Amino acid sequence: MKDKPVKIEVTDGASIPDSKDKGLLNAWWVSFLGAISIIIYLVVTKPDPYKEILLFVPDGILVTFQVTIFSIIGALVIGLFTGLGRISKNKIINLIASTYVEVVRGIPLLVQLFYIYFALGRVVQVPDMIAAVIAMSVCYGAYMGEVFRAGIESVDSGQTEAARSLGFDKNQTMFLVILPQALRTILPPVGNEFIALLKDSSLVSIIAVADILRRGREFAAESFQYFETYTMIALLYLLITLILSKGVSHMEERLTHYDR
Amino acid sequence: MFKKIIMILMLTMLVGFSAEAGMQVNSDGKPVVSVASDCTWPPMEFINKDKQIVGFSVDLMKAAAEAGGYVVEIKNVAWDGIFAGLASGKYDCICSSVTINDQRKKGMDFSDPYFEVQQSVVTNKDSNAKTLADFKGKKLGAQIGTTGYFAVKKTDGVVAKSYDEVGLAMEDLYNGRISAVVCDDPIAADFALQQEEYAKRLKIAFVVKSATPEYLGVAVKKGNKEVVDLINKGLAAAVKNGSYDKIKAKWFGSN
Repeated sequence: MKDKPVKIEVTDGASIPDSKDKGLLNAWWVSFLGAISIIIYLVVTKPDPYKEILLFVPDGILVTFQVTIFSIIGALVIGLFTGLGRISKNKIINLIASTYVEVVRGIPLLVQLFYIYFALGRVVQVPDMIAAVIAMSVCYGAYMGEVFRAGIESVDSGQTEAARSLGFDKNQTMFLVILPQALRTILPPVGNEFIALLKDSSLVSIIAVADILRRGREFAAESFQYFETYTMIALLYLLITLILSKGVSHMEERLTHYDR
Repeated sequence: MFKKIIMILMLTMLVGFSAEAGMQVNSDGKPVVSVASDCTWPPMEFINKDKQIVGFSVDLMKAAAEAGGYVVEIKNVAWDGIFAGLASGKYDCICSSVTINDQRKKGMDFSDPYFEVQQSVVTNKDSNAKTLADFKGKKLGAQIGTTGYFAVKKTDGVVAKSYDEVGLAMEDLYNGRISAVVCDDPIAADFALQQEEYAKRLKIAFVVKSATPEYLGVAVKKGNKEVVDLINKGLAAAVKNGSYDKIKAKWFGSN
């Protein structure tokens, strides 16, 4: 008699649980709906100047997005290698990574921007957008390096020993065993860095990159409506930051729900 | 106890506010006019090697104050927001190569004009552009919120780039990222011809043609007639006693 084939149920694992405050009345929704309704209220009740400001800045919003996204990618890559370098047993790699963190962390981002754009501009010509992304990535890469290092160090050393005794080599241990576990610890502070990076991207307006802040300042300089312009700019930054923070917390939820 | 603290706080606030109202008077009984100036605009107003605020308009304001019987206190204020500071009463007036135009007249009052300027275009020596339109498709820079920047923005087909300071625009031009910088002619002359490194590579190509002459004036908060009158009286007296010509000769040569 033939055995009946055993039916194997394939599931996605535990279903993702509801987050604790999914209701409409949490801080995120209050801020998000608040910002949107204030913008709509201002534009409808006082189209001059609020609507004009809103029509003046969209290309600035796009530039801010571009700078932020490319810088986040750059900073993540630099941060990962810096973090690995900082815990490396190879003395030279360790020294290079540590020196990089010390130097970059000790210089304000604004000064780094000036330096990369104007001072290095005498030697190599970098377009303004690329200069902005390089400066932001280099600066935030140092901070993220420290976050990565702390996350990797937080994984119990028994995990390394177990992986090594199972026959994983050094790289496999790091990338298949340690890093995935570290990711859970790393994600909240990294999300914080993303948001800080987005806000600090307003500094690139100093090197004539036409981001939200620069567009707003141009509008204000011509119309003298500083209060109205900066109100709108503040609301726009808040809105973008909220969207980013929602994305980060969504990622956190997905990663942490197995960890209980 | 709390009541006392609150009372003291309110009293200090009252004193703070009342000190701002009306004009301040120094120990000799002369009125003090506080002047805001963006000192990045040589030779009109800038910071010299001794960290002093100097320049044509600085000397003129001092001479006018002396002739008009008042005292000026000059503060260095960034251009971006200088008009907002005037509106909120942080200083009595702005003397910072402010062009008198209708748009600005809506938001502030002006003294009598004290200088005529044109918008000059600084560009590379090998360029043969004769008008702003010749820079089609290229990037032109100017200081944010200046008449030079507005002139660039009005030109079709060019990419306008605004900088916080005209010096940064010049540096970008020198580094080859933009094709030209538009600014007041005395400043153009100072940057393009006086700075040794820039002079090797840059030149003043042409002057932007404008239907109406462009004059500089001292900007005063809307409705503050007291200060306008004081400054006008001082400027007229400085022209009359010959110090205006002397100052002009000092900063721009005899012609």
